[in-house]
Amino acid sequence: MAIYKSAIEKPVTTALIFVAVIVIGIYSFLKLPIDQFPEMDPPYITVMTTYPGASASEMETNVTKIMENALTSVDHLKHITSQSKDNISVVELELEWGSNMDEAVNDVRSFVDMAANNLPDNCAKPVIFKLSTSTMPIAMYSITADETYAGLDKILNDEVVPQLNHIDGIGNISLSGAPDRYVYVNIDQQKLDAYGITLEQVGQVVSANNLNLSSGTIKMPQEQYQMQVRSEYIESSEIANLMVAMTPQGQQVFIRDIATVKDTIKDLSLDEKTNGREAVRLIIAKQTGANTVQVCKDVRAELAKIQKQLPTDVKIEKIYDSSENIQNSINSLEESVLYALLFVVLVVLFFLGKWRATIIIGITIPIALIVAFIYLGLADSSLNIISLCSLTIAIGMVVDDAIVVLENITRHVERGEDPHEAAIYATNEVWISVIATTLVLVVVFVPLTMLNGMAGIMFHELGWIVTVVCCTSTLVAISLTPMLCSKLLKAKKVHVDENGNLVDDEAGKKGWYERTVVHMLDVIDEYYAKSLGWCLRHKVLTFLILIAFFAASLIPVFAGKIGTDFMQQQDNGRLSVTVKLQRGTRIEETLKTARKLEARFVELVPEIQLINTSAGSNDDASIAALFSSTMNNKIQMTVRLPKKWERDRDIWTIAEILRQEMASYPEINEYQCVVSSGGPGGNDITVDLEIYGYDFDKTSQLAEQCRQLISQLPGARDVNISREDDRPDIKITVDKEKASRLGLSSATISTYLRNRVAGMSCGYLKEDGSEYDIVVRLEEEDRNSISDILNLSIPTATGKSVKLTEVASVGEYWAPPTIERKARQRIVTVKATPYNTTLGELANAITSEVVPQLDLPVGYSTHIGGDVETQQDTFHDMILLGLMIIMLVYIVMASQFESLRMPAIIMFTIPFALSGVIIALWLTGRSLDMIGALGLVLLVGIVVKNGIVLVDYINLMRERGYELNQAIQMSGRSRIRPVLMTAFTTILGMIPMAVSSGEGAEMWQPLGIVVIGGLTVSTFLTLYVVPVLYGVMSRHGDRDKQEALRKKFIFMDIKVKKEEKA
Amino acid sequence: MIVFNQANTGRVEYMLDVLGIKGFTFFEQVQGRGTNGGEPRRGTHAWPEMNSCVITIVEDEQTAPLLEAVKKLDLRNEEVGVRAFVWDIVATV
Repeated sequence: MAIYKSAIEKPVTTALIFVAVIVIGIYSFLKLPIDQFPEMDPPYITVMTTYPGASASEMETNVTKIMENALTSVDHLKHITSQSKDNISVVELELEWGSNMDEAVNDVRSFVDMAANNLPDNCAKPVIFKLSTSTMPIAMYSITADETYAGLDKILNDEVVPQLNHIDGIGNISLSGAPDRYVYVNIDQQKLDAYGITLEQVGQVVSANNLNLSSGTIKMPQEQYQMQVRSEYIESSEIANLMVAMTPQGQQVFIRDIATVKDTIKDLSLDEKTNGREAVRLIIAKQTGANTVQVCKDVRAELAKIQKQLPTDVKIEKIYDSSENIQNSINSLEESVLYALLFVVLVVLFFLGKWRATIIIGITIPIALIVAFIYLGLADSSLNIISLCSLTIAIGMVVDDAIVVLENITRHVERGEDPHEAAIYATNEVWISVIATTLVLVVVFVPLTMLNGMAGIMFHELGWIVTVVCCTSTLVAISLTPMLCSKLLKAKKVHVDENGNLVDDEAGKKGWYERTVVHMLDVIDEYYAKSLGWCLRHKVLTFLILIAFFAASLIPVFAGKIGTDFMQQQDNGRLSVTVKLQRGTRIEETLKTARKLEARFVELVPEIQLINTSAGSNDDASIAALFSSTMNNKIQMTVRLPKKWERDRDIWTIAEILRQEMASYPEINEYQCVVSSGGPGGNDITVDLEIYGYDFDKTSQLAEQCRQLISQLPGARDVNISREDDRPDIKITVDKEKASRLGLSSATISTYLRNRVAGMSCGYLKEDGSEYDIVVRLEEEDRNSISDILNLSIPTATGKSVKLTEVASVGEYWAPPTIERKARQRIVTVKATPYNTTLGELANAITSEVVPQLDLPVGYSTHIGGDVETQQDTFHDMILLGLMIIMLVYIVMASQFESLRMPAIIMFTIPFALSGVIIALWLTGRSLDMIGALGLVLLVGIVVKNGIVLVDYINLMRERGYELNQAIQMSGRSRIRPVLMTAFTTILGMIPMAVSSGEGAEMWQPLGIVVIGGLTVSTFLTLYVVPVLYGVMSRHGDRDKQEALRKKFIFMDIKVKKEEKA
Repeated sequence: MIVFNQANTGRVEYMLDVLGIKGFTFFEQVQGRGTNGGEPRRGTHAWPEMNSCVITIVEDEQTAPLLEAVKKLDLRNEEVGVRAFVWDIVATV
């Protein structure tokens, strides 16, 4: 028994099966985690090798090259890049997105093991890292304090961090810029020399008085005691009162005489300020697989609790919370889904005019969507941008099948059939074609799941969801819909009057709906039938107009009005500003600039809510340091603005204002103002011009030339060169002969220098279980110039001191930069961010205007990389995919019509969809990006569905024996409503997506715009193109058809002789 | 013999019950084409609907009410369609 028949015969079973599906779906929905994107492993593996004492270029030849050669044969490798610095080599592998990372890491490990034998002897074993989502910070908070700033470190480590660690799923918590308490003993060099004391002596005195030693056991007649000398410092002030030496005159020298003891916080190397107040940045990561939104929510709740326990001047402020962005995006998408649902139901109600029918259709939508949640639950996925976008796309399509079935049943019921029987027989008539149209959608969406690369990860889920949703909706349409129709639809009401005449109760009664909407639709039908008749009589003219329209719509493309992008930049209300001053600029100078910039920024952009600035470098290697490469001459700022709907200016305008401000500072060498978009895998969207070549000077010079040329391009901003400038170092060359005569060696000299400049570590001051370093060093004035360094006193073996200048020479020297390589060649990258232009246009401008001006010597080459490359790869994939989909759709349609010509007629609507897309993009001023390209691919499937409906009906009319033009006109009149209805459901379903202004909406807006534009234009043109083309293509074949039939049944032409007749 | 649109099955069965006609033979999925108007029932793409057919052997006096009932059913909804034809039964075992 057919499925629809069983469903109608067993309404309870059918209803309860769907109730069960809904319950499971709701359960899955509640269990689904919320995330921004489907789970994806960033496909990066890093191999780090250390080789102490090797310079960057030695590192490159002896380590990096060997590792690179070994690692190029790793499977699915996309790019191999490396950095060789002093002592360290880092090789980074970028694999294809979606590769199995566990396998890849194993693969890498075996290659590294093989190569390890060829590495130099002193080389440490290479370390393999896999970049995982758990190393990325999910939230950042700034903690500011005034009076308690000095004690902030203790508060944070003892109270805040341990409490946060209780949160489920929380990963690494690191602090950046936390003040460390240090006890400094700053010695005056001259006094030291005057008393003839060495710094090391002072250091020994300090450490020697800070002891906790066991001194044996005392046995008393009865008891036994452990004896201990407990002489640790209780207060740092004790140090000042220690005696260091006795002068020959018998005078005692105390530490206070030659030094100042400061119990303070560590010397500035990393400075963190939030809105100008001293701050500490709290950086929070999650464990792999943990739910970002949940962790962030818990962190927020926990911090609110902690805030109450903290001193009043300590304030916790959010710098960045990724869950907010995710939550907002998801909320606005959920809103889109609900609006789409509402619109679709309204469209159905408008066209059908019956609330019962509308309910029956309306029910299919939630069921189909809920099944999508079950799929997501089974696939261990999450509620994310992609899955919700897919649902919005699907909503408009799921009702189509149900509408076809319902329409046919209604037609039968209106003829006076019993709803029960009408449901069975009417469904029987259409169920095959319903499945066939779904097949068209399936062949569009299933290929999406086969895409590779990053696009593949994003579209994999979309493909499956839409497929699952469409299949479910078909299943519902041929089971639940007929069942509900048989129960809910009422047979036409008639009764028999006293004379035995049949009286139609409803005849003559015209409701409001009949008078307005139906009347309007009738007028449209009439008008359309007339205009179609005209078109059929003037086929050539019609075609010329259509071709002219298509050609005209292509003008914006050739006029260069439609740019291409990889992904739209998003306005998330966050800017990252990076400023580089002259290399070697002292941290304090950098800070002055930072303060100036902060003040000006707030003045220029009063919208700013928070500026977090960090400058300098953190010498403690923490995980956080991986993500911020601050140096003494570098300032990094995170600027938080209100949500985009709470301010007038968009973020790009603000970024431009900040850039112009920064450009006016003479001390600023390089600056960048990056709009943080929440895209996967990367933040800023850039065009990278890669310059390959061996010679440093030459490539640096080329890069500089490129930078200047690119900066002159109107759409280029934030142009910067990847290679760091040479770093000025102070190099001390020891005169070995002189040194050895004084009993010194390079090693001892270097230790002495370190003690004087960086400080000699002399134990700890213990307080409440925490230990604070005590450091003995020279006063700052005695070590902040080259002449001070030359004047440092170095104790000799004889106990006397010599000045450093006597045993060594000091010179300035330029340390070579990090050697970057890509694809086993040295490389410099010049990056540029597009402003008021698209990625594609900027890349074109660079290739056409900048590259030809470069005078590239032999052996040097340039290449455009970065997001543009990914974009081109993706577009290339999309085009292939589009072609494959068109082929598959053709195959499905051809088998449905059992004709090679009919699908071709329908396919003619696709170019007009393209016109619609171009017009829509041109009108909205958008560029075509990956998501828009996806919309284009989807359009193929959606657009042909309209054509199928029309052609199918014309065929039917032809088979019923109507004359060609009459059949076409009749079909047009009869099918315009279903065509308009399905088109409107899809278009209106997309509108919330296209006009949404929520956070992250920039990303999926193009999809809505593309589908709406393409579908609107193609729907209206389908109504003319397809019938007219049908007319053109069939007339000829049709005459032949009758002739062929006559020839086939030739027996009718045989003359029967008279005698035989008898 | 009564030939009718599948969708009339329930009504035809009810009619036979009311008239107290017990015996019949029922054929499902029967194709047909009418001479005097009405859509063909061919189960094809062009004419997707199908007929059913009931052959019932009744006493002579039952023929007239049965034909009247069929006519009533036809009046109820002409588009759906029902026809009846009467033969003589020559013999039976």
